[in-house]
Amino acid sequence: MQVQVKLFAFFREGRFKEEGRELTDNTIVGQVVDDLDIDREEVGVLMINSRHCQFDTVLRDNDILAIFPVIGGG
Amino acid sequence: MAEERELLQFLQERTKDGSLSLVDQRDAARQFNCSLRDIEETALNHSILPGRYQRNGLSPARQLLLFHAKVAIIGCGGLGGRVADLLARLGVGCLCLTDPDIFSESNLNRQNFCTTETLGQYKVEVVAQELRKINPILNIETTKGRFTETSVSAAYLIVDGLDSIEDRHHLSRLCRKHSRPLIHAAVNNWYGQVGVEQFDTQLITQLFPIQVRSFQAPQVLPPTVALLAAMQAAEVCKLILGQNSPLTSTWLHCDLLNCEYTLFES
Repeated sequence: MQVQVKLFAFFREGRFKEEGRELTDNTIVGQVVDDLDIDREEVGVLMINSRHCQFDTVLRDNDILAIFPVIGGG
Repeated sequence: MAEERELLQFLQERTKDGSLSLVDQRDAARQFNCSLRDIEETALNHSILPGRYQRNGLSPARQLLLFHAKVAIIGCGGLGGRVADLLARLGVGCLCLTDPDIFSESNLNRQNFCTTETLGQYKVEVVAQELRKINPILNIETTKGRFTETSVSAAYLIVDGLDSIEDRHHLSRLCRKHSRPLIHAAVNNWYGQVGVEQFDTQLITQLFPIQVRSFQAPQVLPPTVALLAAMQAAEVCKLILGQNSPLTSTWLHCDLLNCEYTLFES
């Protein structure tokens, strides 16, 4: 299945802004995060098709996954 | 009552084009033996605008809403210090400042009232002192320490100027317990986020999933802080004036590097 992955803020550094990915059926969000070598503890918001989701949410064909880092300074 | 009528008459005589100068406010305070704050309240109650608000472009009635508002600023560093400055200039009448820290050298790049002369001084003391120079009618309460439940319950609106995720969760819980809107912002490098958590929304939990660890001392560029603090101040202003804002049901991701500003449903 095809999933569009969007990265935000400094997660783009050395990676990409947006990329289409071919994934096996029933891939979960956390697997995509791990494959991108992103530390799960650095992840803030996860969204599928603009709705908040979790690491264990299962992706579907044509989903758009957005991954944001935690932004915590003040 | 007779004195109040006389004061009002004095203020009306000194008012030019609907506006009352600081010199005349001081004259009135001296002559009628009251504070500048009393003068401002009387003026606004009678549709006279103190000169300091002339360029706000708000009616005296709306300026009076700001005058009566009480806002707690939790954390007076990069975000909080600048929000405090903006709210003082807007004319928000009561500001409660809470911060346990003193200004240190690494604050100089972005914290509004941190100068080479204020290093080593308590942030809340310096901020309060500078705010009084900007707007002498403010009621300012300071707490040199961590925020408590009272910090939240004593104000109508709460501004998040924190830099710790654990503290943000704690503040969010207190705000929801006391039904206080929490005006959140956070920054890192070129990036920031801003949104308003109402007692029935879960913004902080969404933005900071519980498993994330707190990062110490993120890199923060001064323009990022200034932009996000300005947005927080704008949200405070709208909430006090009863104007709807998209940020009560969404949050805004700001990317100053790529000039991308995106609203997301919360």
